[in-house]
Amino acid sequence: MRGAPVKVLQRVPLFADLTRSEVQQIARLFKERRFAEGETVVQEGSGGAAFFVIESGEATVAIRGKKKTTLKADDYFGEIAMIDEGPRMATITATTELVCYGLTYWDFRPLVEANGVIGWKLLQRMAQMLRDAREG
Amino acid sequence: MKRVVPLEKALDATIFGSKAVGLGQAIRDGLPVPPGVALSGAIVEAVAAGEQPAIREVAKWARPLGGPLAVRSSAMDEDGNAASFAGQHLTLLNVPSADELSAALSKIWWSANSDSAITYRKRVGLFTRPSVGVVVQALLDPEAAGVLFTKNPVTGADERVIEASWGLGEAVVAGIVIPDHYRLDRSGQVLERKPGLKRVAVRGVPGGGTVEEQVPAERVERLCLGDDQLQELNRLAGRCEQVYGLARDVEWAFASGTLYLLQCRAITKAGR
Repeated sequence: MRGAPVKVLQRVPLFADLTRSEVQQIARLFKERRFAEGETVVQEGSGGAAFFVIESGEATVAIRGKKKTTLKADDYFGEIAMIDEGPRMATITATTELVCYGLTYWDFRPLVEANGVIGWKLLQRMAQMLRDAREG
Repeated sequence: MKRVVPLEKALDATIFGSKAVGLGQAIRDGLPVPPGVALSGAIVEAVAAGEQPAIREVAKWARPLGGPLAVRSSAMDEDGNAASFAGQHLTLLNVPSADELSAALSKIWWSANSDSAITYRKRVGLFTRPSVGVVVQALLDPEAAGVLFTKNPVTGADERVIEASWGLGEAVVAGIVIPDHYRLDRSGQVLERKPGLKRVAVRGVPGGGTVEEQVPAERVERLCLGDDQLQELNRLAGRCEQVYGLARDVEWAFASGTLYLLQCRAITKAGR
């Protein structure tokens, strides 16, 4: 199968204002990435390069060595890193074989640059997320 | 450009990466390189994206190589940074056959797009889209393998330095054994032979991947190269210098009694 599941991407707050067709355009850009059991998926503090959606398997999330939660199919992480390549906030480790779909900054950026409508909707959504964060 | 070519036709390092072009040059100059094909960065990306025509094209070219396969990343020469990607990009030894190649290519593509690779690219000032070519070759099952410096990388002396161990050369490159250490002058005169401590040999396993196999006790400290093999390596060093220039870092292997060149690059300042 090519691309990430659209139904999962539609749950991502960043994409909340996009139409199904726009989400489908983004979904097609994802590439499958597999991790072995025990493999580090992302490392806290490391620069982030991609947004991941979990297709199958499980992974744990830990911050400063303390386990916070478990991720499973249809969970996602790293959507902000896909825009700014900023540092990862947590370490995620595969606890089973993990199949993800990943979208890199370098695949996402040309789509947004070429499509002002998507870009504007993302900007508005990020402004809203910023407001929400400020209001606590 | 989504292309696959025989290694000897890989001419452009911005399309196929430096390793592919270097090995292609070696074949054109008559050096003993195992047969293989070069994959452009674009076709590696297309395979990682699950594009069926690209997957079929790559499998078609790789099938005549048989199996198992050595699948090595071939970094693009971006502002002279190709060599420094060696530690970032993945190499997968012992991919069972052409049918398993697309999963291997996906892993290599992601290795060039991983968090650590992107962080590294930023640190060296590269803000362009990552791309990685690939070299696919028949995997050798060597009796012994290792590295050869055509000039001493530590002292700078004009002599050959050889490090060797049993099995695949990854045991030497990854530092999991203390390899045999040899020094030869340019005429082939052996200046030093020091047995290492080679407790394991890296070998391919059926079904894919490699394993660290225990070396029988009587072979752990036995030299793995004889005089004839040292002379062959000295001749290879000379040929590599003729083709590529002085001060080369060469990866080699003896398989079924034949010497093969696996990689040849400039010695870096810090040695390896």
